[in-house]
Amino acid sequence: MNWSATIRTVLLCSVLVFLHYTLRPLLAWRASPDFLIIALLLAAVRVRPGVAAIIGFIVGLASDSLALGAFGAGALAMTLIGFSWSKLKAVFFADHVLLNGFFLFLGKWIYEVVMNVVERRMEGAELLVQIVVWSSLSAFVTAVAGVLALMALRPVLETRAA
Amino acid sequence: MARAARFTNRFDLVLFGACILLSLVSMVLPPNLREPVAGSLRRSLVAPLVRLQEGAERWRGAYLTAERAELRRDTLALAAARVPTLESDNDRLRSLLGLGAKLQWGFIPAQALQGRGRIDDFTITLSAGSRAGIRERSLVVAPEGVVGMVQTVDPTMSLAILYAHPDFRVSAMSADGSAFGIVQPHLAKTGAAAPQSYLASERWLLELRGVPFRSTLKPGAVVYSSGMGGIYPRGIPVGVVLGEVKTAEAWARTYLLRPAVNPAEISAVMVLTPQRATSGLTNVWGEIGAVDSATKRIVTAGDSLARQAASAEAAARRAAIDSAVRVYRDSAGREGATTADSIARMVPGAPVVPRPAPTPAPRRDTTGGVRP
Repeated sequence: MNWSATIRTVLLCSVLVFLHYTLRPLLAWRASPDFLIIALLLAAVRVRPGVAAIIGFIVGLASDSLALGAFGAGALAMTLIGFSWSKLKAVFFADHVLLNGFFLFLGKWIYEVVMNVVERRMEGAELLVQIVVWSSLSAFVTAVAGVLALMALRPVLETRAA
Repeated sequence: MARAARFTNRFDLVLFGACILLSLVSMVLPPNLREPVAGSLRRSLVAPLVRLQEGAERWRGAYLTAERAELRRDTLALAAARVPTLESDNDRLRSLLGLGAKLQWGFIPAQALQGRGRIDDFTITLSAGSRAGIRERSLVVAPEGVVGMVQTVDPTMSLAILYAHPDFRVSAMSADGSAFGIVQPHLAKTGAAAPQSYLASERWLLELRGVPFRSTLKPGAVVYSSGMGGIYPRGIPVGVVLGEVKTAEAWARTYLLRPAVNPAEISAVMVLTPQRATSGLTNVWGEIGAVDSATKRIVTAGDSLARQAASAEAAARRAAIDSAVRVYRDSAGREGATTADSIARMVPGAPVVPRPAPTPAPRRDTTGGVRP
């Protein structure tokens, strides 16, 4: 990735992080899009898996600092997702918007599952409902927002060759 | 070339493993080691993001306020004839809800931001920190009652747990002080004890546990902090009784409470300074003091009535005993010779001597006994 692409990626990720802390509170939905996950995907498919893991770790840890319980859970989930995305991109991740949407859905859902399981706030049926209903809904909304963002940003994006 | 690729792959795996290891270490860090890391992140990397979120929340608040103002304008336009009444009512309600005016001193207003935006965090970020005077374990209240407690303080922000947080506890009592217990979040039961009717929305409810079995609370009764826990002073509304929860405990009752503060309306809160909390809040929310004094008046009135009834009953008993004693003495004086009869009657086989009918003795405590 050349310098121009790096700067564009950093700028786009900054915009997504900005949206995460401005648009999300404005929407205040029960299942709102997670722009941090979208930014992580955007960055992860353009860097090496190890760097993607570090980015995920830093983003997750920063997100965890605002919560008193389960510090490190977000870092763990984001590290897993960042590394997996970068690896998948290297293996078979096609540059297809809908496929990106599917992986966004999967990534956000895995993030939610890891957070819910590690935090141990819920158990039994409540945990099942949270994972099946609310996490899935949140992942779907994130995937839709991600697909829209990718479609809108396609002209300025340049993905790393698989 | 292949060796270089293998090296970078291994290097990636090492980085990944290191990140995973650090994440796991972060999760098991004790609070005294975890807090410096989280605090430094909050003060450096996250601080501008939190300010962004604060601005967005302010925008949202302004939008909602504008929407409410528009609705109010429409309503006022429809009810133009009632505007003066509405204005006076509005002023009256504002003065009633003026918690700040009641507190007078020792409070720090702050904006409450939802932590990470996850619905099950049960923590809030406050837009004021140690520079504004907030300390750890400061109380967070709203005009309606208890909101939570500050756990972590940074110079410009602080984190607080809400009443629905699993760690939240407050010693509470009924308004008349007849029932005491511990309020804690209404957590879902798991396993065989799990009620089928448990809903996720019930997670925001509270439980008043450990109420003595002899104390009963009716639905609608307001529960206040009792001041016995050492953190929350007496007299802050905690919740309203919805009903009793059946538990396996045979010696204590558990009541389900609706929180005094609606979680959806936690936006602007007040943080009480420790000095304000220790100086007492009994007169701030008002009802507890009024109810206490009313209860005391009722108890006092009941006591005096009871005393009157008791003294009347005691007088009647004394009169009856006196009367019985007098009757006995009179009878003894008149029938001294018949004592042997009585003894004789008790001896088996003794002849029964018929006695003349006794003459009624004059009784001073009866009006119809003797007349001159």
